[in-house]
Amino acid sequence: MSQSQSPCSYLIIARSSPYGSQQARAALDIALTAAAFEQAVSIVFMDAGVLQLLKNQQADAAGMKNIGKVITALELYEVNSIMVHQEAVDKYDLDPSQFVQSVDVVTSEEIKILIAGADQVMVL
Amino acid sequence: MKFSIVIHGAPWSSSASHSALRYAEALLECGHEIVRLFFYQDGASSGSSLCVPPQDEINIPEQWQVLINKHGIDAVVCAASALKRGILDAAEADRYEKNAHNLLPGFAVSGLGQLIDAAGQSDRVVSFVQ
Repeated sequence: MSQSQSPCSYLIIARSSPYGSQQARAALDIALTAAAFEQAVSIVFMDAGVLQLLKNQQADAAGMKNIGKVITALELYEVNSIMVHQEAVDKYDLDPSQFVQSVDVVTSEEIKILIAGADQVMVL
Repeated sequence: MKFSIVIHGAPWSSSASHSALRYAEALLECGHEIVRLFFYQDGASSGSSLCVPPQDEINIPEQWQVLINKHGIDAVVCAASALKRGILDAAEADRYEKNAHNLLPGFAVSGLGQLIDAAGQSDRVVSFVQ
C-alpha cells in the first residue's frame, strides 16, 4: 500500500443472497479490507442481499461460514454506516428487529445520493 | 483516465472475463491507463496456464497474458481465491507442497489489499461480475 494516498470513500452495495454464491462474502471481505486500510466504508444491503442481515442463519447446513456473524464484525472494523434498502425490507416482508444488528433503513432516493457521493462504488 | 478492473466471473461459465478483456483492450486503445487488473473469486481461473479450449474458441487466459505482457499491466490474482481453485505460482506450490504450479507469467498472487490500493490510485474501478 502506498501511504501517500488520501483515503477513498467506498459504497459497497450488497445485493446477493447470503449462501447462493460467494458474492455475499466477497462484498463483506472487500468492505472489511477497505476498512482495515482506513478507508471510509459504507455498505447498503439491497434486493436479496437483505437476507444476509437475518438472525439465526444456519450456515453450517450450506457448508459455509455464517454471513450474519461477519456483518456483526463490520462495526469493529469501523464500517459505521450500515444500511438497508427500504424496498428490499418490504419485498421480503421483514422487520429490522429480525436483523443481526441495527441498520439504517434508506430509500432509493437516498441510495442515489450515496452513489453520487462515493469515490468508489462496488456492487456484489 | 486511470482505471482498475475487477474480474469476478470464471473465464468459461460467465462472460465476465472475456468482456473485461475486451474492455481493457478498448481502454488502452483510447489512451487510458490501467492501474491494475484484479482477478477475484472465480476470476482467478483466468490466470491458469493449463486451460486448453477447443481450437475454434478463444483462449481467454492466454489472451489476458498477451495483453498484460504487451502493455506491462499490473495483474493480480487474489491469493485466497486462486489457491482454493488450484491456481498456484511456484512459491505457493512450494509452500503448500504441491507438485505443480500453473499461474501464467505476468500474473502475481497477492491479497485484497491490492484491490483497495488500486482503487485509491484509480479514477474508476470497473467490476465484471457475471
